[in-house]
Amino acid sequence: MKEELANRLVQGLKKAGINFVTYLPETRLSQIVPLIRDDPGMELVAVSSEQEAVTIAVGATLGGKQAAVYMENTGIYVSSYSLLVTGKQLGVPILLVVGFLGGVPDQRNSFLYATIGNHTIPVLQGLGIEHQVLEDGEKLEIKISDAVRAANALRAPYALLFAGEFSE
Amino acid sequence: MIRHECLESLAAKMSDQLEVTSQSGQRIEWSHLSKHEGNLLVGMMGCAIGVATGLALALPHRKVIALDSDGSVLLSLFNLATLGNLRPKNLVIYVFDNGVYSGSRISYATATSGNTDLTAMARGAGIANAHTIRDIEEFNKQGIGALTRNELAFFVCKVEESLLHREIPRPNTDLAENKYTFVRFLERTEEKTIPFVGRG
Repeated sequence: MKEELANRLVQGLKKAGINFVTYLPETRLSQIVPLIRDDPGMELVAVSSEQEAVTIAVGATLGGKQAAVYMENTGIYVSSYSLLVTGKQLGVPILLVVGFLGGVPDQRNSFLYATIGNHTIPVLQGLGIEHQVLEDGEKLEIKISDAVRAANALRAPYALLFAGEFSE
Repeated sequence: MIRHECLESLAAKMSDQLEVTSQSGQRIEWSHLSKHEGNLLVGMMGCAIGVATGLALALPHRKVIALDSDGSVLLSLFNLATLGNLRPKNLVIYVFDNGVYSGSRISYATATSGNTDLTAMARGAGIANAHTIRDIEEFNKQGIGALTRNELAFFVCKVEESLLHREIPRPNTDLAENKYTFVRFLERTEEKTIPFVGRG
């Protein structure tokens, strides 16, 4: 991902009100981690599993933060239980910022990732989690703001899956 | 020591703390003992410590309590490593370890009935203030005492299996009602709006 796009992504999160981010790093979007870390307006929390990335973000949201979780799409599988229990069942909005490995628009797709990518959207659909695939920077800030607003309105997680230019 | 007597002691100390409880017989006992508006029920196992951690980080000036079980902690052992590094000073975790999957109605042993020591695991993960509590006197002294200290605490409370919760009427407050009671309590006591609630 080009530096300019990484900066816009983080500024877009901030503009949308995100001030608390839990994460487990991956390869496609990892440039956003130091940018978030160095932003005094955002709290960055490293975790050991995507499952707790979700539960910690849910707790922070209930405590008054606007929280996001940054993860690889493999983390959707790992965290599906906590997404369902604390996101959907308890009804708490969080934004999922997902590096979408192995999907058709993944510019670094290979036999390593294709199966993982192929099941991501059906799993999100199965969990009833609204989502959108972003392939370029067009209207990026608006799309992030729309996603946060939708999550809050739905009282549920909303997933933005980043591929295309974000995976270069 | 049984769980109910520990919860009874704890309920008497609830003031402005926030409390997160997991799914197990304890949530029935706790809902019977404490009508505190700062009680948040997380509906299933393995998620309460994470939610409590998020609350503790978001509200560092508030004491946050997590009530959990051995089965639940075994489902979410990654929490230990994360807490061992974050060490939120305002979080106190009580794990009621009866050594069995009591809710399954066949009470088969959990790993803590065998060779697994959750306190040692917590210490190894970096939670320096992790202790095993074996009687109610110790619970009242060390466990309750942690509420007034400014340090992450992790207590594994070794309790006998008790089926007392099956004699207690189950609460009829659903998760959504409980969540909004909790959020409104926070809004009132923090004098701020919780953003996601928004306007209709």
